[in-house]
Amino acid sequence: MSWMLLWKVVLLVTIGCFSIMTIVVTIGGALDIRRLFERLKEDRDEEA
Amino acid sequence: MNEFVAEAATKTNFTPIDWCIVVAYLLVSLAIGLVVKRFATSMSAYIAAGRNVGVWLGVASMTGTELGLITVMYSAEKGFKGGFAAFHIAVLAGMVTFVIGVTGFIVAPLRETGVLTIPEYYGRRYGNRTRILGGIILAGGGILNMGLFLKVGSMFIVGVTGLSQQGWAMPVVMTTLLALVLVYTVLGGMISVIVTDYIQFVVLAFGLLLATWLAVAKLGWDNIFTTVESTMGAGGFNPFVSEGHFGVEYVLWMAFLGIVGCALWPTAVARALAMESTEAVKRGFRWSSISFTIRFLIPYFWGICALVFFVHHEPQLAAAFGIGGESSPNGEPPANALYAMPLFIGRLLPAGVIGIVSAAMIAAFMSTHDSYLLCWSSVIVQDVIAPLSQKRLDTKTRVLLTRISIVAIGVYIWAWGLFYKGRDDIWDYMAITGAIYFTGAFALLAGGLYWKRASSTGAFCALIAGCSAVIGLAPIRDPVAGVVLAALGREASPAAVAEFLTSARVGLGTICFTLVVFVVVSLLFPDAAKQEDSEATEGAT
Repeated sequence: MSWMLLWKVVLLVTIGCFSIMTIVVTIGGALDIRRLFERLKEDRDEEA
Repeated sequence: MNEFVAEAATKTNFTPIDWCIVVAYLLVSLAIGLVVKRFATSMSAYIAAGRNVGVWLGVASMTGTELGLITVMYSAEKGFKGGFAAFHIAVLAGMVTFVIGVTGFIVAPLRETGVLTIPEYYGRRYGNRTRILGGIILAGGGILNMGLFLKVGSMFIVGVTGLSQQGWAMPVVMTTLLALVLVYTVLGGMISVIVTDYIQFVVLAFGLLLATWLAVAKLGWDNIFTTVESTMGAGGFNPFVSEGHFGVEYVLWMAFLGIVGCALWPTAVARALAMESTEAVKRGFRWSSISFTIRFLIPYFWGICALVFFVHHEPQLAAAFGIGGESSPNGEPPANALYAMPLFIGRLLPAGVIGIVSAAMIAAFMSTHDSYLLCWSSVIVQDVIAPLSQKRLDTKTRVLLTRISIVAIGVYIWAWGLFYKGRDDIWDYMAITGAIYFTGAFALLAGGLYWKRASSTGAFCALIAGCSAVIGLAPIRDPVAGVVLAALGREASPAAVAEFLTSARVGLGTICFTLVVFVVVSLLFPDAAKQEDSEATEGAT
């Protein structure tokens, strides 16, 4: 395999994976933020 | 800036609509810092978000932190100068991160110890004096490392907006961006860092993909590759050929930096230590291997696209940057390659879209600065000031000291950005300043976690040995290399000096030197308790 072909494949595959990851992390991260604040609120209430 | 390039930078598509988008984005980030302030009630909440960060939020935050505007800028510079051959750095970074996500090398056992910072681990494993020295070196090397972040990030803003001809633009942009980051980081600590990182990830990821798609649509997929081939030859694709920008030593150095970037660098490790479980850490690293690849790959590609764009659409700019060895139209030296990508983006993207992409880049800038500021300041307080303090510091005092440290570091990077005049590539500058810390850290962490005979004296000496990486900085390297070459009876011209002591050679040499010091001193001076244990065991048998 030539270097040029290798980098073409690497670029396409990586951007494809990153596109999928962006969607997954955007949705999963929003749910994680909600959970984070619930737990922080519990911690704060316990301290109070 | 080269006058011709400064003049060209004014021909940008950036309009008042784009300014509105950028300002709105900045205000949202600031508001988040103010809103989440009320949750930062303990030191654990302030510097580790109460260890309540889930996998996806951890991935978003790690990506936001490690994909800074500085990364985009220096990577675009590498792509502009080195072509597709620079892709090897991205591939190595991604592969190493994935392997660490599978094996948990360093990060998983470190998370299991329950420490908040790396020097805290040094303290548990090697004693208090190693913790304090480790904290000083980590914070010192790290702060030096981020010294050019503000300046280079501001270069993007002034380049893409067309403000570059105004003498006041750089210091004003630097001050404004820094002030915004300081406000929300000081107020909300890790909680606001994590939440803003998430929003910055979303804006940044979509911005990167959009700009990349537009670049390919404008320049043509095959044309990008054939232009690099005609301009750079084989060196534009093969990282090992002599006529290229890299070489075998450089590739080896980048492989080690791949380990450093995800498993040793304190800001990345801080995310691992803030995650809810060891399994979440490993899963997070496996997913982050994609973003650790993309954080280099897309900016390299943008740098390459800038080169192709100038060659085909702006031949005078191509000459101003010295592409293909051509001389500048006004006879000046070649322009700073860091400006190539912002100029290209400023011409490629239409009004409105350029505002979104600029907001994404500012997001990258802010998400890196907030994490770095918090990381170094928490190390200064937790691992240097607190252990040295005669009395136990309460939470309120620690949070206050952390906030003061954040502001002090901010002032330093503002001043350093204005006054440092090193000639290093930005990436090489960062690799060398980072090496001051991570060469010692690699020995101490890997040795402490996986080698029973690692001793506190060996650790202490290894930390000091790691500081020898400072030789790689241009203002120190050049006279040192000149003296050595003269002693060897060889010519000490600037070209010969640069070829003799490359950053890769200094970096690899420092790692070997530090590991040898660590192993030899640990064997010669074992810890007293372990020595007694060993003697007792031998006596029993």
